Amino acid sequence: MRDPYEILGVEKSASLEDIRKSYRKLAKKFHPDLNPGSKSAEEQFKEVSSAYDLLSDADKRARFDRGEIDAAGAERPRQRFYKDFAEDSDHVYTDASGYEDFATGDDLFAEILRRQAQARANAPGPDMHYRLPVDFLDAVNGGTIRLGVPDGGTLEVKIPAGIETGQVLRLRGKGGPGRGTGKPGDALVEVEVRPHRFFAREGDDIHVELPITLSEAVLGGEVPVPTPTGPVMMRVPKNSNTGATLRLRGKGVRRHGGGHGDELVRLKVMLPPAPDPELEKFAAGWQAGKSYDPRREMQS
Amino acid sequence: MTITRQEFLLRASLDDGTLEAWVAEEWLIPGGSTAEPAFTDADIARAALIRDLKHELDVNDPGIGVILSLLDQVHGLRRTLADLLRDMRERREPNG
Repeated sequence: MRDPYEILGVEKSASLEDIRKSYRKLAKKFHPDLNPGSKSAEEQFKEVSSAYDLLSDADKRARFDRGEIDAAGAERPRQRFYKDFAEDSDHVYTDASGYEDFATGDDLFAEILRRQAQARANAPGPDMHYRLPVDFLDAVNGGTIRLGVPDGGTLEVKIPAGIETGQVLRLRGKGGPGRGTGKPGDALVEVEVRPHRFFAREGDDIHVELPITLSEAVLGGEVPVPTPTGPVMMRVPKNSNTGATLRLRGKGVRRHGGGHGDELVRLKVMLPPAPDPELEKFAAGWQAGKSYDPRREMQS
Repeated sequence: MTITRQEFLLRASLDDGTLEAWVAEEWLIPGGSTAEPAFTDADIARAALIRDLKHELDVNDPGIGVILSLLDQVHGLRRTLADLLRDMRERREPNG
């Protein structure tokens, strides 16, 4: 890169005010949006802005003057310029009225202006974006949700079973109206699944923590378990511990390619809230319970 | 692809009041409804241009209006010229 002082056309001793003045003058001349179509102006503007970025920062300028940094690497990250969008056909800003007087009679120019006017008059409608909170069970099982839209109407949104947060549903033709014979845009609905009180989801599997009584844990038995499609009976084996996980096949979320995930039921043994004299008496005299050390693995 | 008002403010680094003023001046013309305006990437780039004019090039408000209006006419002209050239090329091609 060239010397930044040279680019801005200022002396090494120039004041910040001089540098700014010179930058403004050059930026006005080379700003890409004021020179649409000129590649060389865009290049020159880039050079001028990085030179200004370097010299308008007292610290960077001093380091450059001492030779600690060079002029490169000061490139300014730049957004796209307006000119890159300005000639899109369905543009609201572009104004073709300035030379309508050219279009007299039936020549090629008049025809092109007519076609442009028609394209503008029949521009397709914009897509509209919405965010839709969905209950956990509706997301797992699927369903239909009504979504209120800003113009006062409602949209019926069909939720496919198994949808996840972040997925976007496209409702064709439910966006903004088109102009003339232009097609309406689409409604794009981004789904946000609300958490559930006791179900959690991991991929296609449902996880749930199931409290069981001490008797159920020791003796085993049939217990009711909630699943997204309603409660089912599950057999708890004899001597089941807290943390043991049982799998209910096919009770999870519907898979893309067919079939369902599983529900994983993690058992949690619960004592009754109030102390029980009979249980205390049993535990006090229970030798096997005393000799078992569940914390053995934690000893170093 | 449209952008909501909130996302637009964030991506164009504008505050609420500035956006309202620019829309009132018709420097920016969002699509959608008044309650739920919809912006595009072109609006973000146009906002960056307005900011450059105002803060980098020190153009005053009436000047910005004039520049934008002339620029919009230049772009209309450029587009028409491009259409005209394309049309002429297509007409010439069949004969070689």
